[in-house]
Amino acid sequence: MADAGRVRRPSPFGAGSERRSELIAAYALIAIPIALFLVLNIGSILYALYISFWEWTTRPREIIGIANYQEILSDRVFQRSVTNTIYYAALVVPLQMALGLFLAVVVNQKIRGQTFFRAAFYFPAIASSAAITVLFIFIMSPGGLFNEVRSLLGLNPVFQLLGFGPEHNWVGNSSTALNSIILLNAWTTSGTMMLFYLSFLQTISREVYEAAAIDGAGPWQAFWKITFPLLKPGHYFVATVSVIGALQLFDQAIIAGGSGGEPANSLTTMVLYLYREAIREFHFGYAAAVGIILFVIIFGATLVQRRLFGQAPSW
Amino acid sequence: MRRSLWAATLTALMTVAACTGGSTASPGGGGASGSPAGGGGASGSPAGTGGTGFDPNSIEGDLVMSGWSAGAVEAPILEQLLEDFQVAYPNIKVRFEPVAGEYPAAMAAKFSAAEPPDLFYVDSSLAPTWIDDDLLEPLDEYLAKSGFDVSQFYDGYLNAFKGPDGEIFGLPKDGNTLAMAYNTAMLEEAGVEPPTTHEELVAAADALKANGVEAPLCLSSTMDRALAFVYQNGGSLFNEDKTAATIDSPESVAGIDWYLNLFKNGQGQRPADLGVDWCGQALGEEKSAIIFEGGWVDPYMTDTFPEVEYAWAEMPEGAGGKATLAFTVSYSIGADSKNKDASWVLLSYLTGTEGMTTWTEGGVANPSRKDVEGAAGKEILIDGAEYARPWSFIPGFSEFNDAFNNAFTAALEGTGGAQEVANATKEAIDSNLQ
Repeated sequence: MADAGRVRRPSPFGAGSERRSELIAAYALIAIPIALFLVLNIGSILYALYISFWEWTTRPREIIGIANYQEILSDRVFQRSVTNTIYYAALVVPLQMALGLFLAVVVNQKIRGQTFFRAAFYFPAIASSAAITVLFIFIMSPGGLFNEVRSLLGLNPVFQLLGFGPEHNWVGNSSTALNSIILLNAWTTSGTMMLFYLSFLQTISREVYEAAAIDGAGPWQAFWKITFPLLKPGHYFVATVSVIGALQLFDQAIIAGGSGGEPANSLTTMVLYLYREAIREFHFGYAAAVGIILFVIIFGATLVQRRLFGQAPSW
Repeated sequence: MRRSLWAATLTALMTVAACTGGSTASPGGGGASGSPAGGGGASGSPAGTGGTGFDPNSIEGDLVMSGWSAGAVEAPILEQLLEDFQVAYPNIKVRFEPVAGEYPAAMAAKFSAAEPPDLFYVDSSLAPTWIDDDLLEPLDEYLAKSGFDVSQFYDGYLNAFKGPDGEIFGLPKDGNTLAMAYNTAMLEEAGVEPPTTHEELVAAADALKANGVEAPLCLSSTMDRALAFVYQNGGSLFNEDKTAATIDSPESVAGIDWYLNLFKNGQGQRPADLGVDWCGQALGEEKSAIIFEGGWVDPYMTDTFPEVEYAWAEMPEGAGGKATLAFTVSYSIGADSKNKDASWVLLSYLTGTEGMTTWTEGGVANPSRKDVEGAAGKEILIDGAEYARPWSFIPGFSEFNDAFNNAFTAALEGTGGAQEVANATKEAIDSNLQ
């Protein structure tokens, strides 16, 4: 909130009328988004916290304290949704980051067609995720392109060794459904991650590389000794954004598995569970409690990442 | 902690005052026994003075009616129906506002704001949840006042909209049952008669398979098909008054097991395994010879696969006799509607003989009333309603429906069997019975 209480400091408002009117304009401009943020974000969170202590359908019924939370934590489908979501995040985040970093480093080279590659790699991020998911389901279906191509390439014996028959239904089988969605999303979001990394890459001074080159560092060494560590604030940012996104997995899950998280609950994510309780069953109090738990998990994960990647290095 | 204090602070903070509309609604109390007729009419309440008198012609009002958007074939018929109503009752203006996108989600927002449409569709599977939440107006007083006879509705449709105490919260606008659609040529080639019992069905599937049909049956791995076979086997999901799950009874488990075995023994496959979206497509592409679906297959086949010849037959009979499922949608009046009397006039017109005849005579839907004759060729689907059981159970439907479906898929993949499916479903039901 604004520093209204600290007016006793003489400087800001005492330093001439021009500065004063500038400050007023600045606060006025900030006030609108802050008010929206307080009402729409913080307000919603507080309100969700409030109704999570209620039996609340389409209207308030009765205060039941933490009963919603107790019920949620003992619900097996919810437990499954948490393990699914964490499994998903644990795999998709490193994949997204690695892929994004790789693409960023590639398109950061001075090569011909640099702009084309940047646009091409970013393309999946701007296409509708619903459309991509539907296409993906077609491609991965038993008689789909993926199974046809691996058969044409003679790769089926390899897949057979891994336990997948020639007509395997990748998204429709519980053993591969979530992993398929992980691969899909690692690809579709890699463009965005690339963009983030690219902006951080360009903050690294060229002189550092020149100095390293004089000391005889090859490109591999330069990457691991210079680029990677100097990208620390980039890693923090990308990891945070990516973890938050991953823990909120919903659209691909509901398109591929319906609101039931089929097959065999393998695509039941926390947000899908929340959605089903709220929209199908009108258990808004219960769903709000699920949302609060999700909030706590995301908040905790972000704090952990702050610990891991620390503060921005001072160079 | 004072609730009002909390509410005041938070609503002030929020501006989204919408949800608090219902304020101190005590569960159960208000809606069910409340005063439906008397206070309702905003403009022209027809005077509850007479006790039995209800003169629809004296009622006026502006109504909003909502449902999911009608398809290209249905839309003009619905329009015609509402025009006819307008002519019959010029004092009541009706505006149809279809809900785009996800219907329950859009309706949840309207209910929370206490501003539902006056009259709207309610899917049978969601009806118990909506009734339990006092969102629907009980119709019993209207029925009595206007002498509307509900005995002409098939039980399988009407019972879907009854509350725990037998009050009626909606009248079925039409209905559909599951039946067996089969490819006439494929059965003939294999020298098979349309099966009428479970044993004959298995034998027919084996004969078709021997004749080169890889997946003789297209079977959905979902409860909205499997339950019909469980019923046929003498099993059930609930006891009579829906106070206990019976899906783990020996007959029910045997029914699930029998259905599972159709997959395991190669007599049937899921649509996804056949590379189709649903079993209607498997019939159209002649990947399967026999499917279990409802009347929605007909317009699809006419549009997409007009050259494929198929016919309808009743669902095969099991150890427990004949059984099928009834799927339906009601017209219901919002408990928060401000034009309940006028809504009732519209509701009774749409579900009366005249309205339903207009709605169903072209064959886009099947009548839910016995005294309305449906379109030709729909006899099997219409007559099935005589013994069909409603696709409507208790609040929390999506939870035990999902539990069944997920456990069934797991069983198909080799994790668990019929008993595990029953247990998972029962667990989800029990958590909603408390």
